[in-house]
Amino acid sequence: MDLNQINKEINNCQTNTELEEIRVKYLGRLGLINQEFSKIKTAANPKAFGQQLNQLKTEVEELIKNQSLIVETSLMTSLPKKENNIFSLPKVGHLHPITQTERQLNEVFRKLGFSIYSGPEIVTDEFNFQRLNVPPNHPARDMQDSIYIKEPDYLLRTQGSTIESQLLVSQKPPIRCAFPCEVFRNEKVNKSNHFVFHHFQAVVVDKGITMKDLIGTMDLMFKTLYGPDVVVRYRCKYYPEVEPGVGPDMQCFNCHGKGCVVCKYAGWIEMGGSGMIHPKVLDMAGIDHHVYSGFAFGMGLDRWAMAQNNITDIRTFMGGNLAYKPNE
Amino acid sequence: MKLIYSYLQKFLPDLSIEPQKLRDDLNMIGHFTNFYNTIPLLKGDQGGFDYVFDLDIKVNRGDCLGYYGLAKDLSILYNIPLVLPQNFSYPNSNYTLPIKVDTTNVIRVMAVKIVHLKNSISPDWLQTFLKLHGVNSINTLVDLTNYVMFMYGIPNHAFDTAKSTDNLIWQMNPRYTEFVSLDKTKLTLDQSILMINNPSKALSLSFWGGQACAITETTTDTVVEMAIYNPTTVRQNSRQLKAVTEASIRLEKQLDPELIPVAFNALASLIIKHCGGQVGSQIFDYYPHPALAPVIEFDPKLPSIVSGINIPESFALDIVKKVGSRPDITQEEDLVEEVVRFYGYDKIPTNQPLKYKQLPDITPKVIYLIEQLKDKMVADGYDEVLTWPLVSIPTDPKTVITTQNSINSESIYLRQSLIPSLKAQLDQYNRYKLPGPKFFEIGKIYYLEKGQYIEKFALALYNQNPEKLRRDVPQNVSAKNIKFDDNFAEIILDNLPKPDSYTPIPSDSHAIELTNQIITLDANVISDQSTEVLLKHYQSTIDPNILWQISIADHYQNKYTFHVSYYNCDDKTAKKIHLAVFNLI
Repeated sequence: MDLNQINKEINNCQTNTELEEIRVKYLGRLGLINQEFSKIKTAANPKAFGQQLNQLKTEVEELIKNQSLIVETSLMTSLPKKENNIFSLPKVGHLHPITQTERQLNEVFRKLGFSIYSGPEIVTDEFNFQRLNVPPNHPARDMQDSIYIKEPDYLLRTQGSTIESQLLVSQKPPIRCAFPCEVFRNEKVNKSNHFVFHHFQAVVVDKGITMKDLIGTMDLMFKTLYGPDVVVRYRCKYYPEVEPGVGPDMQCFNCHGKGCVVCKYAGWIEMGGSGMIHPKVLDMAGIDHHVYSGFAFGMGLDRWAMAQNNITDIRTFMGGNLAYKPNE
Repeated sequence: MKLIYSYLQKFLPDLSIEPQKLRDDLNMIGHFTNFYNTIPLLKGDQGGFDYVFDLDIKVNRGDCLGYYGLAKDLSILYNIPLVLPQNFSYPNSNYTLPIKVDTTNVIRVMAVKIVHLKNSISPDWLQTFLKLHGVNSINTLVDLTNYVMFMYGIPNHAFDTAKSTDNLIWQMNPRYTEFVSLDKTKLTLDQSILMINNPSKALSLSFWGGQACAITETTTDTVVEMAIYNPTTVRQNSRQLKAVTEASIRLEKQLDPELIPVAFNALASLIIKHCGGQVGSQIFDYYPHPALAPVIEFDPKLPSIVSGINIPESFALDIVKKVGSRPDITQEEDLVEEVVRFYGYDKIPTNQPLKYKQLPDITPKVIYLIEQLKDKMVADGYDEVLTWPLVSIPTDPKTVITTQNSINSESIYLRQSLIPSLKAQLDQYNRYKLPGPKFFEIGKIYYLEKGQYIEKFALALYNQNPEKLRRDVPQNVSAKNIKFDDNFAEIILDNLPKPDSYTPIPSDSHAIELTNQIITLDANVISDQSTEVLLKHYQSTIDPNILWQISIADHYQNKYTFHVSYYNCDDKTAKKIHLAVFNLI
């Protein structure tokens, strides 16, 4: 049975119904692969024959799942937002916009084989900074004003990457995890700043992971969130825990790149940070960076969710005057 | 960091790229540039335009806090020559400066004495240059030290030797308790401060000059110095004294001591050119441990392996050669980033995401429980809210966890229960007269137990109907895990049975930021139409931007009482619309 031929058939599928037909054809109880299994007893080398068939089965399953993701993503990004969620909850109560955004993102990553992870909010300096390649007195610490519980050892996590450093020591590669989380910064609360923010982070560690995987996956995420026409550029950006670092910027939705008040006349809006996990970070976690590589990226969710709901004050989001129209 | 196009051309005479393209390229190679302003050309009177860029230089690139570092990057990107000013040759002198360095925090110092100079107000070009960089003009000598700092990224300082003498000592603060800076700020010092003094006077901090030896227009003799210190010491001093200067911003980062002779040469040359005078000493150069460029083994295939695209090995080797040594480049991965950023991140395709891979699900089961509970609460008619994890009043002062440095003085305790926050939320809703609020939150609570910091997930909910509240709490909860308080309930989730999986249900409900009170008015209507028809009629008649909710409060035969809530408008407007819609005028 030719895997390339099967791959072609799968790639030609534009809907889940077509994919289901292919699944039944090859993987169904009476499918072609199962029929092959019946020949195992007469094969010259039954063990090798069985292994080949199992491998073929796994590969076909993965190809179908990948195509399913592509089909669903293209559906999600090509339909108007209201039409997307045809399986929505009955309109009785309402989920917070942050939860809605987190679920949207979780779904993108779940379909790529990611687990959803979490971690404590009270963390040690070691996991919040040192294991992310930020030793004491490193100027990068100024990028994140911390709220300490017991200075200098215990603090409220300042970034989603803190969960990454905990994840890397507790799990062996291959790793695929995403984590929506709250992070804390010692900032004055006002209309546009808060001491608690919502972040979304994803981490992958495996053999052969590249920047192409990172940028392609981020782009898929942005297209799912913002629609197929979103323009995102990926540029060099420094973060101590990654190298090379990658900064995704979205072309300003207000001025389309010309420059305006919204984008501070840059034409672009910074969307978060990412990059290839720094070899020192992998080594500190006991993962051999000569064997494994990985990527990590994180982005804030508050501003996106606020923009989606025309909310102008970040305090509204947290214990403020946020409400939902009944039956909508 | 500001960057003026024409001054960048001093290092890159062949630079002719359009300003917008330059801005985009700077961004792509890692120097975030918000915008640029167009101004009249600064150099000469030939007319034309100049451009001022506003850059955000990242902490690893201290070298780019000067034009020279940025020019070096751009010379590689555009493959154009990087040109340095003509070398100034110091005349011979028999006089050796009696400078001492008594601390290991000094990496390199160069100094020279210049005598018989004539200081004055600065020429216009220099004043304008500094103004565009946000620095006040003082006099020519001081302004030139700042100019060189911006051009080369290395701070430097001039001492009026009539006040300071030549006996400068770099040392950790030996005994001074107070220091007055150039702008007359008084600082209280301890012994951890790196200073430049003479045997009897405190003269300068490592990153801020002092009043005691300030340069004035009457200064005739000066010792100018350029130094790089242990960046951690400067950073700690700057933070401790709560003093941030253009010099501290640079000195707390890794700067290249090998650049000092080049920058110092430019400084001495400019002083002689603009202030006259002559060199009055030998060059003092303290550099006890010259920086050795690390030996890095570089595999030219690695940039292709890391990026996932084909980057020719010849290109990789060429870039590595051109970049040379830089303080932030210490290992192979640093070189890989250099190669990829000059090759172009934009050459990496954006349409090839990771493919699905089946891996064991390591999602903590409590996450599935949380998601299921959220769905249950929404299905039961509750709205989700999020409240602040830091609160002003502890629920139990004995076990509360307190933050040490929260700048929001009203939020210093980690919440021990969600209920007080939900009570505050209810107060908010009552203030806005929200009809029938019913809401929940799932979040962390925190407390101390036997010296350990404990975090647990909790669900809290509010229902103004206590019977319904009891009905709506999850039913499989033991009494010790549930707490009722008025019309609120709270459940600790960590001890509940958890599901093995969860299938998410997307939701697209729209949230609204209440800005005015919701106005609820009644209307009595007599009609033979059905309930549905009437509701539909009035719903379509009232502008959806002000209609919050419409319901039938009472119905008897053909008599209806409608309950209508309006938002986004004041009391008067709501009444006017209400009377018109229900023909009550």
